[in-house]
Amino acid sequence: MATHAPTHAHTDHGPGHHAGTKPLGYWWKRAFVATVVAVILALGVTFVVRWAWGFHPLWNAQVYWTMIFIFAGIGFIIGIGCFDWWWNYLRGRRVGFEDHSMHGATSWKDYLRPNTDHKVIGIQYTVLTFISFVIAGLYAEGVRAQLAQPGEQFVNAQTYNGLFSMHATIMIFGFIIPVFSGLANFVLPLMIGAKDMAFPRLNALSFWLLVVAAALLIFAPAFGAFSAGWTAYPPLALQGTTGTTMFEIAIQFAGASTIATAVNFMVTIVTMRAPGMTVWRMPLLVWANATTSALVVFGTPFIAGSQLMSLLDRVMGTNFFNAANGGDVVMYQHVFWFYSHPAVYIMMLPGFGIVSEVIATFSRKPIFGYRAIAFSTVAIAILGFGVWAHHMFVSGMASWIRIPMMMTTVVIAVPTGIKIFSWLGTMWGGKLHLKTPMLFAMGFIVTFTIGGLSGVYLGTLPTDIAFHSTYFIVAHIHYVLFGGSVMTIFAGTYYWFPKMTGRMYNETLGKWHFWLTFVGMNLTFFPMHWLGTQGMPRRVADYAPRFANVNLFISIASLLMVAGTVVFFYNMIYSWAKGAKAPWNPWRGRTLEWMVSSPPSLFNFDVIPQVVGGPYQYGIAGARHAIVFAGPELGGGELTETDKRLVLIVADQAVASPALIQDIRERNAEGYWRFTYVVPSTPDDHRAAERRLQTALAVLAESDIDANGTVIDAPPMQAIDKVMREENVHEIMLTTFPLGSSAWLDQDLVDRVRKATGIGVTHVTILPSEARATVASESVEKVAIIANYGIDDAGLAELVKTRADEKPLSAVVLCPLSLEGPATSPEAEAIRTEASGRTARLIARLQEAGIQTRGEIIDGSVTHAIKVARTAHHANTVLLATRPGDRIEITDEIIAAAGQVSIEQVTTDGQTSTASGASEGR
Amino acid sequence: MTTENITLGADLHGGGPAGEKQAHISQATLAMLLFLGSEAMLFASFFTAYFMVRFNVAGNVWPPINPATGHKYVLPVAVTGVNTLFLVSSSFTLWWGEYRLQHGGDRKSLERGLLVTMGLGLTFLVIQLNEYAHLGFSPRDQAFGSTFYSLTGLHGLHVIVGLTLLTICFVRSRRRHEFTAERASMLWATSLYWHFVDVVWVILFFLVYLL
Repeated sequence: MATHAPTHAHTDHGPGHHAGTKPLGYWWKRAFVATVVAVILALGVTFVVRWAWGFHPLWNAQVYWTMIFIFAGIGFIIGIGCFDWWWNYLRGRRVGFEDHSMHGATSWKDYLRPNTDHKVIGIQYTVLTFISFVIAGLYAEGVRAQLAQPGEQFVNAQTYNGLFSMHATIMIFGFIIPVFSGLANFVLPLMIGAKDMAFPRLNALSFWLLVVAAALLIFAPAFGAFSAGWTAYPPLALQGTTGTTMFEIAIQFAGASTIATAVNFMVTIVTMRAPGMTVWRMPLLVWANATTSALVVFGTPFIAGSQLMSLLDRVMGTNFFNAANGGDVVMYQHVFWFYSHPAVYIMMLPGFGIVSEVIATFSRKPIFGYRAIAFSTVAIAILGFGVWAHHMFVSGMASWIRIPMMMTTVVIAVPTGIKIFSWLGTMWGGKLHLKTPMLFAMGFIVTFTIGGLSGVYLGTLPTDIAFHSTYFIVAHIHYVLFGGSVMTIFAGTYYWFPKMTGRMYNETLGKWHFWLTFVGMNLTFFPMHWLGTQGMPRRVADYAPRFANVNLFISIASLLMVAGTVVFFYNMIYSWAKGAKAPWNPWRGRTLEWMVSSPPSLFNFDVIPQVVGGPYQYGIAGARHAIVFAGPELGGGELTETDKRLVLIVADQAVASPALIQDIRERNAEGYWRFTYVVPSTPDDHRAAERRLQTALAVLAESDIDANGTVIDAPPMQAIDKVMREENVHEIMLTTFPLGSSAWLDQDLVDRVRKATGIGVTHVTILPSEARATVASESVEKVAIIANYGIDDAGLAELVKTRADEKPLSAVVLCPLSLEGPATSPEAEAIRTEASGRTARLIARLQEAGIQTRGEIIDGSVTHAIKVARTAHHANTVLLATRPGDRIEITDEIIAAAGQVSIEQVTTDGQTSTASGASEGR
Repeated sequence: MTTENITLGADLHGGGPAGEKQAHISQATLAMLLFLGSEAMLFASFFTAYFMVRFNVAGNVWPPINPATGHKYVLPVAVTGVNTLFLVSSSFTLWWGEYRLQHGGDRKSLERGLLVTMGLGLTFLVIQLNEYAHLGFSPRDQAFGSTFYSLTGLHGLHVIVGLTLLTICFVRSRRRHEFTAERASMLWATSLYWHFVDVVWVILFFLVYLL
């Protein structure tokens, strides 16, 4: 079994080849200087041109702002270093096409400069877009605050227009469209077995174009918010000020970014698929992104064109939309919606792809209607270009367009329905695993179907004319964009979080996030349907008093989503920093990204994998999607097998015992195995069992053994039965104490399991003394607890338990006794006996809580104890527990004794736990 | 390096994975084709504006009446027609250079072809700017002026970009002797772009000047 080895041999180039050698400050100083120079250049060029051509007035603020924003954006991108390679190329310098000087990340700093690694770019995208999500979400809460009651609450009508415009604009252009690029950037090359995207430098440029666009959008309110809605219809948008200029330029940057990404995706998908990956073996996410890319490439220029015309009209005084001089206002809407209707599929198709992955994986069944889903994706994209005018039924456009557009719109419900039913068909009869990504995918099906149905109302001419300017539209768009796109984004983020960060997220918090979001979103947006049918207009800061109660309800309900989002960010940030190490394939997915380590190595695959079958053949005996090969430094050969055979390990006290783990390691070396622990437990012992399991999984993950596990509060037979119903188990390893000291053997468990399951049972016997021995491992923190009288405090044990919940640890309890006088006197003997009793009680208490613990009495000072902890026990951390009033201070002597080991001083509460009997307090 | 199968990075020489799924098109060419699809749509958005202004609003009088003079706006068809010939012929000179490179690896002729192409492109630009100076109306004069200048101006920007790409090809060929009959992805991509700029101009000339 290969390890997470770097795939890139370092024979042909020296250090500094990867990730550059220049510090982060160099790039940002350069970017700052270049931006300032660009602004000065913009002012100078504009002034000279206006002066030379004799334009009046010489100082037209909007013209200067326009030039400043364009120049500053480009200047920043040049300064940050996106064009360095191309600059050398066009000067005729010698350049290496295999130049990896901007590739890969070794620290967080590498995420803050241009990077050509698709995995780094994927994370850059995702983080940036989630920041946009928070900002846009705050604007939405501003809207809800204003609408909580009729009348002007917090802001005036003009500012309110700015609030909802910024909310929609940042959500759409700063979050939903690019976050899909981010997730796909990370996953797609892995899925098709490629080492990177086709054009890594273009990929980096795409991201930094988006940075400029996001910055322009986010800072626009400071220059007078853009307040004509995200659709920016003239003539209203033509009244805007600098904020509007920033919006229109941001769209150009964002558009360039998405087009570049889309071209990159298309070329990657067409030319860089691994051998054997025919189009009918591509995962559906790849299908979805190929289709979306086509929409982006052919659609996005239209919004660029519409915003360019709008900008020219406002800044240069052209007459595109000025009816007095022969312009055409409705023309804007045609051009705008020719992009922006396909854009709703740009915002939805990648989500369909994510959901197809998630539902197939967590239903453990081949996806229902693979080709139907693929074809319907393409059908939606093609039909999507022929429906734009359904947004314009009430705009006064030529009336003969209405009926054809209505019909094409309703026809789109067919391929969408095919998808929905295919997903339901996939889940039907599957073994559903309700992990967080699956919950979001299932929630998505519910909410998106509601949004799709209200979409049929709005695509139908008579109802649309009635509902067009009401809250019904707001309800619909949020059911499809929040209930649709955002739910799939969350599903994808949780699904690939282990792959992207190498750590597991917290499942409980994930479920909290889902339920808060799902309930919150339905309570928030469903009543809006009713408001709309009753005639509450959208985009207005005030409303009739009869809508007051429902609006207040909606505003309060929206706080549930805020709470859910807070949980989400806490979970993401905390888990990224301190979550448990993720195995290669926590969900047992079949696609290629799960056949490499988490996170993947620098160039993903040592050797290009060979694809041999479809991607979703769950539960089909012998079916494989792909073969991944090990690199030459590991001797070549097959790296992993799609269908690893599963060993079910049943254990209770001995879960993390070194003897059992050694057995598992040996078994793992023999073949392609994966391991699932089932720990039968009781509610009282549940936490302790989980801690033992965490320790064991951390140790196994460190050895790159594919293992997971659950604690089930049930007797062993029932627990085994529960797992067997979900998994295809090939073998059971039943771990017990020897005959005589094992309750399980007394119940004749081995034979009963053998008869009940009909598969092989390996009986592993662990001595009770071995069961609680400490396992030596890098991923288990060794904590030395040095305490004397405080050792018996209940608070100390609790503290250690809390630490163990954060990160697996093994403890060694050291009780230093500095006795004066003869060491063998009866008094000394009594003190020693007492101390060893205290120590033993703490050890027992921690062991009962599932923490591997040993301990000893140290004849000597605290300093000596620290030396022992460091040298004999190899402790990483020393916990120095004192009681209030103890005079132990961290002296220089102690620090010297500790060396590299970190010392934490903890003060316990001084309350002796009831179990300790008499108090020894002095 | 273990990248025999996939050349990593901005592989401007095509390639893709070996094995049964060999792509038959180089990455640079495919990317340029997609990009040109995008460019075509950008022009399409401005043509949409042009046609809606012309057929939805203006009606039968086109070009519209100049309020300042009382006569129709006039476009210099003859001069622009000659100018069109300059641009169209530049496509052929570029093709000639490529042909000489492909058949016999004659890089010297390629460089000559590039120089002549750039010269013709530059001539086109200068004549077009001169036309702007003598048209007698500005982008602010009616929606007619706005659409006319935006279409021709957008095309002019593309000519400038095309000239830049041609210059890069020339520099790479001169200084690094880079292009051979088999490996010249940058050159093929540039030439696709230049032909596209030509075709767009022919369509534009027909729709805006002649029709």
